[in-house]
Amino acid sequence: MVSLTTTLTSTMEQKAADDLADVARVLAGDVQAFEGIVRRWQGPLVNMAWRYSRDRGRAEEMAQEALVRAWRGLKQWRREGNFSTWLFALAANVFRSELRRFPTETLPLEEAPEPAGPALQHSQLEKRGRDEVVRRAVLALPPPYREPVILFYFHEQDVAAAARNLGLPEGTLKARLLRARALLRRRFPQLAGEAGTMHAALNPAARNQGREVTN
Amino acid sequence: MKPPKKLSTAQKQVVNDRIGAEIDQILASEEELIPTSGFLSSVMERVEEEAAVPPPLPFPWRRLAPGIALAAGVICWGAVELVRGGMPSLTSFPQLAPHLSETLAHSAESAGWVALALGVSLISWSISRRLAGRGGLL
Repeated sequence: MVSLTTTLTSTMEQKAADDLADVARVLAGDVQAFEGIVRRWQGPLVNMAWRYSRDRGRAEEMAQEALVRAWRGLKQWRREGNFSTWLFALAANVFRSELRRFPTETLPLEEAPEPAGPALQHSQLEKRGRDEVVRRAVLALPPPYREPVILFYFHEQDVAAAARNLGLPEGTLKARLLRARALLRRRFPQLAGEAGTMHAALNPAARNQGREVTN
Repeated sequence: MKPPKKLSTAQKQVVNDRIGAEIDQILASEEELIPTSGFLSSVMERVEEEAAVPPPLPFPWRRLAPGIALAAGVICWGAVELVRGGMPSLTSFPQLAPHLSETLAHSAESAGWVALALGVSLISWSISRRLAGRGGLL
């Protein structure tokens, strides 16, 4: 566990150092150095955009737009925090404004289809379908709750990272997460099946992380 | 038929925790998308395109400054002349009639100066516009 944490930290540090070097080269006029930044962050940005839009093609378009805007605004990065923090904040702004211009079609939360109950979840396919219904329901949450949920799970349930990304105090983010969870729980009462219990029993780490916000 | 049994607060909490855990599990277990193979090249293509475009010309404020100063001076001078020309007519109100023609003459002269000032301003504006190019801000 300790070695895994150490490896993760050193990977993050390496990424931060690479970002710093690439940004310096780009600002010195080497356009090709931006490729390193794109290589490192294309995956996370596409995945983040996917969580905002749930449309594969659109996610790539939005991620591309975010990277181009990052290139244009590279001088504005003040090096006070990590490059990735700045990049994710910029990307969130881009995704938000893109979705305001052309909203993703979502049903209101109350009209989201009912996921199959535990008794009907015989196949992996049905479970996937149910999970997708729940994920899409996040997009139907009222705007103040939608982004905190998207970014909290995107940042692997790291409240601090999600708060930094949104520029909100951690307390505000936690309060919004609580409210969002309450809305989702009310919408999907049938999720209180075996799966929930099994997950809680099998995955104490996730349970503890969830508790941090629940309490 | 028996009515459904109401859940106690503790039971409700357990159910809520279960649902919360399940929602956590679903939202946290999102499959990772891998960007398409052309994604990197299309981003770099756009970046290179933008890098190749020359930066927009800055507005030539330095070149325009003498023109602005000249125009401002002319306008101020015209305004001072206008006031000076109009003052006698205001102070000699009781004897308005004898001075009326003189005042009108003064006003016409002042109007000429104002027109000249506007002309000079117009010329300096058009010169600055030509210097900045037609794609400039003006």
